Amino acid sequence: MATLTTEMAAAPREAQSARFAALRRREQWRYLFLLAPALVFLTAFYGYPVASMLMRAFYDPSWGGQNFAPLVEASSTVEVLGLSLPMNVYLRVFWITLQIALVTTVCTLLLGYPVAYALSSISPGRANLLMMLVLIPFWTSILVRSYAWMVLLGQEGIINEALTAAGAIENPIRLLNTRFAVYLGMVHILLPFMILPLYAVMRGIDRNLMRAAGNLGAPPAAVFRRIFLPLSLPGIAAGCLLVFILSLGFYITPQLLGGQRDVMVSMLIQQQVDLLKWGFGSALALVLLVLALVIYLVFTRLLGVERVFGSARA
Amino acid sequence: MRNSWDPIAEMRATNRALKRQMMRDLDVMSRRQLLRRGGTLVAGASAASILFKAGIPLHASAQEETPPLPEYGEIPENLMGSGEVRVQSWGGAFQDAQREAYFQPFQELTGITVIESEGPDPSQIKAMVDTGNVEQDVVQMDRADVIFLLQQGDYWEPIDYSLFDVDNIAEYHRFEYSVDMLPYATVIGYRTDAFPEGPAGQADFWNTEAFPGPRTTSGGTGGVTPFLEAAVVAAGTPMDAIYPIDLDAAFASLGALRPDVVRFWEAGAQPAQMLTDNEAVMAHSWNGRTHAIMQEGAPVDVQWNEAQLATDVWAIPKGAANAENAQKFAAFITLPVSQARLSYLIPYGSVNAASAELMTPEQLATLPTSPEYLEKMWVRDIDWWVENLETVLNTWNEWILS
Repeated sequence: MATLTTEMAAAPREAQSARFAALRRREQWRYLFLLAPALVFLTAFYGYPVASMLMRAFYDPSWGGQNFAPLVEASSTVEVLGLSLPMNVYLRVFWITLQIALVTTVCTLLLGYPVAYALSSISPGRANLLMMLVLIPFWTSILVRSYAWMVLLGQEGIINEALTAAGAIENPIRLLNTRFAVYLGMVHILLPFMILPLYAVMRGIDRNLMRAAGNLGAPPAAVFRRIFLPLSLPGIAAGCLLVFILSLGFYITPQLLGGQRDVMVSMLIQQQVDLLKWGFGSALALVLLVLALVIYLVFTRLLGVERVFGSARA
Repeated sequence: MRNSWDPIAEMRATNRALKRQMMRDLDVMSRRQLLRRGGTLVAGASAASILFKAGIPLHASAQEETPPLPEYGEIPENLMGSGEVRVQSWGGAFQDAQREAYFQPFQELTGITVIESEGPDPSQIKAMVDTGNVEQDVVQMDRADVIFLLQQGDYWEPIDYSLFDVDNIAEYHRFEYSVDMLPYATVIGYRTDAFPEGPAGQADFWNTEAFPGPRTTSGGTGGVTPFLEAAVVAAGTPMDAIYPIDLDAAFASLGALRPDVVRFWEAGAQPAQMLTDNEAVMAHSWNGRTHAIMQEGAPVDVQWNEAQLATDVWAIPKGAANAENAQKFAAFITLPVSQARLSYLIPYGSVNAASAELMTPEQLATLPTSPEYLEKMWVRDIDWWVENLETVLNTWNEWILS
């Protein structure tokens, strides 16, 4: 025993740390091995197809950047903060898409936060039961849920019929084919994506902290604002990021529920594919992807990747 | 540059398959809901169920009144064969009717097995021919799409008219790379509870003072084109002077109607659904689909005056493995009996002049190809559209967001 300790102490420090480093490397390789099947699968069936589709933006119909030219061509200008910026139909569609994604994200956060808070505050058994209510719609297809909104919002839909019957309105009001309907449908569909990360983070918050603050005389509002809210921030960030990026690619819901001007990038891409202008379609898809990546990077840089995704394990 | 495998086509095929499956699920679901709620959801459920039924005329109720389908006699010897032919049409109850009218008889009489699929798509054809992996032998298409692809390269097999009933198929139905097989009309459908009299033509469609209420007409996304012809006719252009369409005048006319257009539709099922659910009181709609909702009891009628006649075609993708059988298939379907049998099941027209002898005058009167209707309609100019499609859609994109 004594010899061993002496020996270890006697060993040069560098040799020891080198051995640890080697061990750690080997361990990391082992983890990489665990990742391999998923990595191979994703590369073959996701990475390659997506990459070859996006590559089209550069070679179809001929090599070069001509597919990106229409995006920067200005057909009109728009005044932003006194600056006159170039504007065209494609940029406008991107702008509408961002707008819809932003409003959807804010609405899901406002609706999802109290739900996640309530779920994380009750006993796990009961929370699981209630969580089913969040998850069941989540498992229903987007198309079905979008049609369900058409059924509800139509001129002769349930809402209008009920309001007319109750005497609240005389003539049916226009609910379907409006931006409002798009928000309604998208918020409904994306709500679980907000609630789940929020719930995961909130479950991990030690409630004793709040009790301690209360004991020390903090009013409930201050306890929430200064303790719970900051601790739930990673959940907010993860949920918002998820919902926002998913919103950018929405197609069916705005198509079915939206009005004349609710054109999203996905619809523009579909139109280009039909026109057999696959190169331009790919260019639009590439820009959308880059946009999503930039938003992701900005978000994680501002808040730190660890804070966005790390603490879900807390 | 040709890729060995095309992810876009792959993706689109998958999406379509998924969507079809969802539609079926939804159909089943809405029917169940209807049964359970005992009709309180009728209005709602109809929105969902009409969407795919509308396609898709339901011939069950029509059959009660119509005599049995004409039977095939002797069929030409050169249509006999063996093996199989892979056919793509538009699915739903429409394809069910095609199966009853001529797919099954073709299989029984010629010995060639028919393998069906749904949802023809020019971009899919392009991908299949590019990769040498042609999965269809014959597809039902808009001829504009056939020409559009031809401009991109050698995507179609020429039609072998030595097999066809050329004596009865007028020359304007025969093209080098496609053959007409289904004339249909884009008519004005309107709610009879809103307008017992109904509109007299396109000018009334545009006259929102005399005929107030929401409209729907086709848009520029989802693979359909804006109804520019109706727009210029409403503005006073005579039917024989529509083409070449004055784009400025057409979009100005659309702009005048725009505040009353509740939505620009992207699929043929939408106007039928919107008429049924009273989302629109007047719609530009395909005659077969409108007929279907009328048969279901929707308070809807059709104005044939100033309607548009167009025709779907059969086309054979280049390099199709069973191209010879596909030629026989297309020839069989343009036979008088085949064309008449389909018209018995759905009020779509015939491209074979001899079909008329197999139908009653009353039946003929309901078809878009009846002389009475024909003189009230113009024929869609495919060549103009092929030439101008891209310009129109780019103008449309600017216009819709303005």
